[in-house]
Amino acid sequence: MLKKYISIMRGAALAALLMCGASLPAQTTASGVINGSLNNTSGIAIQFDSDPAGVTLGAAGTNAATANFGTVSAFGPLAAGVTRPSVTATNFTVRTIFDVQVTSGGLTSTSYTLTANLAAATPSGMSYKVDAITLTTALQTIQVNGSYNTDIAHNLDLVILTAAPGAGGPAVNTPITTTINFTATAN
Amino acid sequence: MKKVMLLTIFAALMMISSAAVAQTTASGTLTVTATVTGSINLVFNSDASGVALSSGAGTNAATLAFGNVSAFGPISAGIVRSTTATTFTVSSAVDVLVSKTNSASANYTLQAQLGSADAVNTWTVGGVAVTNAAQSTLTATGTYAANSNFPVAITVPFTTASGTLISNTINYVATAN
Repeated sequence: MLKKYISIMRGAALAALLMCGASLPAQTTASGVINGSLNNTSGIAIQFDSDPAGVTLGAAGTNAATANFGTVSAFGPLAAGVTRPSVTATNFTVRTIFDVQVTSGGLTSTSYTLTANLAAATPSGMSYKVDAITLTTALQTIQVNGSYNTDIAHNLDLVILTAAPGAGGPAVNTPITTTINFTATAN
Repeated sequence: MKKVMLLTIFAALMMISSAAVAQTTASGTLTVTATVTGSINLVFNSDASGVALSSGAGTNAATLAFGNVSAFGPISAGIVRSTTATTFTVSSAVDVLVSKTNSASANYTLQAQLGSADAVNTWTVGGVAVTNAAQSTLTATGTYAANSNFPVAITVPFTTASGTLISNTINYVATAN
């Protein structure tokens, strides 16, 4: 009886060893090392935000926004967020306010310089100003000490000649679109 | 070997420098749209030969005060008076200035209407009778950007009691032709 028990135990042990032997090749592992690296570069980003006192921007919060003054005239009603600071015999000005926010990361810079230029020549009878600086296709400095990570309000003025279309004035009853390029540079 | 090392360091510095510059600017675009429409504006101005507007000169809501008037008594400067057998008329020059912008309109039509009925007195503007029943056309070829005198006149019956206050509002409308 004891011999039989021992024989069974030996068989079981052998079977266990065989099983272990069979399973070991299945657990053969291959190892590797991933050397993760992150190049933490410094940079800044710009975005346009709607100002409470101005028109609501399209695509606000991005760096490619739109500002629509709606219908403007020297004497007629204006859209919400648009004001008319001046009307003279030769021109009138309509104004809205928009915000620029520049965020920085990994920089020791404490301020930025904001420049702007028109993407194309001004339409007939129109001129564009940001903070009273008349824009052209050449870069103009708007601000030299902008603070990071906060909305900074800027006036956007459209100075429109009162002359009739064809006599120096702008085209009427049709949308006039102009793109202004802004660049923020860390100081 | 030394040259190679120097070149390598220089190239590395150049790369670092260019990367730093490229990463410290950010750009964005703001697309601006506006639709310009033509418009005209009307204001009242004191005429040098008439009664000075007592308020609102240069605006579109002015006040013309004749003061005390009578058929035969003294009359203020700037008032022209005429009488008939039963009435007297006082008149003062008043300038209307209509300006246009962004418009090819050559001239304008000016109309006027009393704010409320006056069954006793007769009102004229620029020699045209005005009532509250309908707009009266003062001119159909008004000239822009020039003060145009449209005298305001009131014809008062002799039967009007002394001390009677005569007051009304004249609404003007200029329309670009």
